[in-house]
Amino acid sequence: MDHPTIFRVTEETLDLDALLAQITLPSTGAAAVFTGMVRAVTSRGEARETRFLEYQAYRPMAEDKMRQIADEIRAKWPSVEGIAIVQRIGRLYPGTPTVLIACTAAHRDTGVFEAARYGIDRLKEIVPVWKKEVSPGGEEWIEGEYFPRPGE
Amino acid sequence: MNRTKILLFATLRDRAGGKKFIELEVPDGMTVQGLKDRIGEVFPDLKDSMRSVLVAVDREYAMDELVLQSGMEIAMFPPVSGG
Repeated sequence: MDHPTIFRVTEETLDLDALLAQITLPSTGAAAVFTGMVRAVTSRGEARETRFLEYQAYRPMAEDKMRQIADEIRAKWPSVEGIAIVQRIGRLYPGTPTVLIACTAAHRDTGVFEAARYGIDRLKEIVPVWKKEVSPGGEEWIEGEYFPRPGE
Repeated sequence: MNRTKILLFATLRDRAGGKKFIELEVPDGMTVQGLKDRIGEVFPDLKDSMRSVLVAVDREYAMDELVLQSGMEIAMFPPVSGG
């Protein structure tokens, strides 16, 4: 059976149940899901409050890179069955899920946790999406630190 | 010689006055590094950004040595911060 792969940049609410259903096969018995959400209060590093985040994406390249990450996951963890990588963009308020990575497999001890972890780590390295943080005191684009190597 | 669109995102878009792209003559044979230097000259507001910018050509990350040709899709942006 084909292994479903979902990669998407969207302005819609992330629907975990619908996404999970799409990556669940008859042989699937485990799913590892990571989701990130907008944090209202940050204490790590410089303490601050966030009113909302404004996400922007270079959409076609972002979806290409999500597909690449799914390929990397399958190469590293061949037992992974379904993969969903979805980034929400637009204006997102505290408490709102912004990104979702889900990997399914027959059993939980086949690398699904590591695969989902790898997916979100890679997304934050190579998928062209940015967020502007709007705080009571002003606004600022958050910039990452990763410079992709040739072929990434 | 073609006027080529260069897509801008995040900080770069803001520094270009909110424009989603700029247009520039990109002579055949110009490298990515050459393009960055040229943008710094033509668009002073973007000069500082060119030092740590990421460049994508045809939706793949491009290194400074890559030689540009007409018809390529070029985008510039800061290191990514999605998630």
